[in-house]
Amino acid sequence: MKGAVIRLLLLMVLLAIISRAQVLRADSGTPVMLAAGALLLCGLFAGKVAKGLGLPRLTGYLLVGVAVGPYVLGFIPNAGVKGLELVKGLAVSLIALVAGTELRLGLIRRVGARVALLCAAVCGVTFLVCFGATFALKPFLPFLADMTVPQALAVSALLSTVVVSFSPTVTIAIVQETSARGAFTEFLMALVIIGDLLVMVAFALAAGLTKASFGGGLDVTELLGGVGWELFGSVVVGLVLAVGMLIYMRGVKRELPLFLVGLCFAAAEGGTRLHLSPLLVSLAAGALIANLDEHAGERIHNAIQQAGLPVFALFFAAAGAGLKLDSLLTVGPAAMLLVALRGVAIWFSCRRFAPADDPRLKRYLWMGLISQAGVTFGLAALVSRTFPTFGPQVEVLIVAMITAHELVGPVLTRRALAASGEIRADDAQGTA
Amino acid sequence: MQALLVFLSIAALSLLASSRALDPGRFPALARLAASGFLFVLLGIFLGPSVAGVLSERHLEAMRPVMALGLGTAGVLLGLNLEPRLLRLLPRSVYLSGLAHSGTAFFFVALPLLVPLVFTSVRGLLGAVGAAAMLGAAASLSSGHSAVLAWRAGRLDRARGLGVALLTMLDDAVGLGVLALALMIGAASNVGEGLGLVCLALLLGVMCGALLAFLTHSLKDLAELTTVTLGGVVLVSGAAAYLRVSPLLAGVACGATLAVVGGRTSERVARALGRVERPVFLVLVFLVGCAVHARDYWAWVLMPAFVGLRFLGKMLGGRFARRLVQQTLVLPPRLGYALIAQGGLALCLVAEYGMLVPGVLARRVLDVVVMGAVVNELLAGQAFQYVVDPPRSISANSTDGHKVAA
Repeated sequence: MKGAVIRLLLLMVLLAIISRAQVLRADSGTPVMLAAGALLLCGLFAGKVAKGLGLPRLTGYLLVGVAVGPYVLGFIPNAGVKGLELVKGLAVSLIALVAGTELRLGLIRRVGARVALLCAAVCGVTFLVCFGATFALKPFLPFLADMTVPQALAVSALLSTVVVSFSPTVTIAIVQETSARGAFTEFLMALVIIGDLLVMVAFALAAGLTKASFGGGLDVTELLGGVGWELFGSVVVGLVLAVGMLIYMRGVKRELPLFLVGLCFAAAEGGTRLHLSPLLVSLAAGALIANLDEHAGERIHNAIQQAGLPVFALFFAAAGAGLKLDSLLTVGPAAMLLVALRGVAIWFSCRRFAPADDPRLKRYLWMGLISQAGVTFGLAALVSRTFPTFGPQVEVLIVAMITAHELVGPVLTRRALAASGEIRADDAQGTA
Repeated sequence: MQALLVFLSIAALSLLASSRALDPGRFPALARLAASGFLFVLLGIFLGPSVAGVLSERHLEAMRPVMALGLGTAGVLLGLNLEPRLLRLLPRSVYLSGLAHSGTAFFFVALPLLVPLVFTSVRGLLGAVGAAAMLGAAASLSSGHSAVLAWRAGRLDRARGLGVALLTMLDDAVGLGVLALALMIGAASNVGEGLGLVCLALLLGVMCGALLAFLTHSLKDLAELTTVTLGGVVLVSGAAAYLRVSPLLAGVACGATLAVVGGRTSERVARALGRVERPVFLVLVFLVGCAVHARDYWAWVLMPAFVGLRFLGKMLGGRFARRLVQQTLVLPPRLGYALIAQGGLALCLVAEYGMLVPGVLARRVLDVVVMGAVVNELLAGQAFQYVVDPPRSISANSTDGHKVAA
């Protein structure tokens, strides 16, 4: 670990020199590649340091991103971090593809119904708690204070829907890192994935209601069409991708990691432009491949482990650098209250509704559900774009919550997996 | 979305280029362009803003970080290939020979073309001198690829193949030196500031190279080594682009430092980097092609002069070089014909110049060199026949030369 710390410090010294040298120039060039290189290297060595301290590597990536990012040391300008959006889409797509290969029909038959029931209960309870708290905070939240009661109810529902969401990205990355395998891990992964599907549907409905409450009218056909396209369209596109991958794997058989990175990049970019869910597209592709050809699923898993290290280190370090710490100052108290209430709601619903046949679910499952990352960021940005009058303020509140969840979530997820006794390796090669 | 389409078309084209569809027997010129990557230059010109317009100027501006990454990677690879031990062993006559043939081509192109450049320059004599120097530098470069391929195919004996390759490697140093000089003149408001920027690029490269050597020193895992190598290359290219200095020069300094201080690690790093060399090069030459302004009529006028003068310079320079080095290095007869292919570094030089020196003249230099390089690549295939299959009279001379060298 000492070597990793020295390397990390040297990297930071170099970054400090570069950022000082920039002062010599009247106008600077594009900082995107600087951000990419710096976050990749810092993330990698910070991951080693975190592992040495008994923390998930992912926490190391996130924390070093926060440290060198624009809000703490300022070695990497904000424009550089924003320029890495493409990498974020790619990482989500790759992670979802791996997750998809875990979704076998046998697993879905075995735990599908129980997971769906528990997911509905956890999401329902958390939604109700957050919804009630947000509405109760109406006089103290500037964006809600001037709204009518129906409007405030609709916006509270919209915000609470986003707040409920989990992070499949973090969960899957931690599972990959620790090589965790077993019933508890399967249950946790299935729950975060299904939870996000539920949130997507709920978000579309809440956004439609909010539009209606602000005088936009409620177009049920458009609403259902949008949700249907996002869900079923994503699955269909995912299935097409899966067929393409299988043809490539049987026909070309070369450079699979490179091919998968290219395809996931196309899925992420194309999916976003077509208003599909890149997560769902890749998830469906991975699931179909794993169920049609188990060997091909394993090859994809191994190939992504090869190509995944740089992408994931960069993704999470960039996510850390993008965390708006200043938003914690402005909406901190309200955000922290909602974070605490969400945590309590998840803990309570897991204790109350988790299947009794496995006591680990009642005790530890809640810890794996605290993280929030890519999907929540995406929904928050969507709120900001769709409702320009109050959306940006809602986004600030949600991002403040994500900041808190990103810092504690990965640690809790790893602790849940460790407590369940399903961690197989301390340092699995590859992904996270 | 357009950028995505372009990336997908590059991927498709690279699959096509590596497949058997381009049979050298049926389409020799096309196969040659595909093998050298110059087909991607043509694709870039076609899709770029001045022809089909699939990529606009705005897209190209957004792709600048990718261009910087490509230049930085090319620089690091060049720097890594510098073998200080080997360079120290080379006798002075080899350096003189390299300087003779590249210098002749340089002056044959730079001096005559300075005149039209002065007339079309709005930045005065100094700007025109910088632009002419860049044209000369691009002309001085040659690719040793054909000689190495011919040697591997048994069409050229090993000593001659390596001799040509060695001379072309020494050209690269001349080209990079001229680039540094041209950037000193053109990339800043005065020469002193320009010198400072070049020094900053080199210093940045040295620091990154030393750090990369230290970071990769004890890494055993291949995935980690590849990740750190890629990260180091992205960092040096990105830092240079951020500070608006040359990623190519910074990359060369980084690679050379790594080669000097890295020991065996530098070989592992070179191998790791070698895996991404081809795709990065193809994307880079594609973007260089996109930057060509095919409707600049002055460039079309200057291009034949550039190709013709370079040809003459290489012929004469090749003769000088052969005469200077005949005691120590075995070279083929009609050496000039082996030096016609221009190689990717010429494109890198003018792309770098175009990025850092504003104005119409830098763009025109890029247009002339890129289009000229495609023509030279096509000519090189035919010209090399004279090297591997010389006329009878030349064969007789060469036998004498071979005896001397042996």
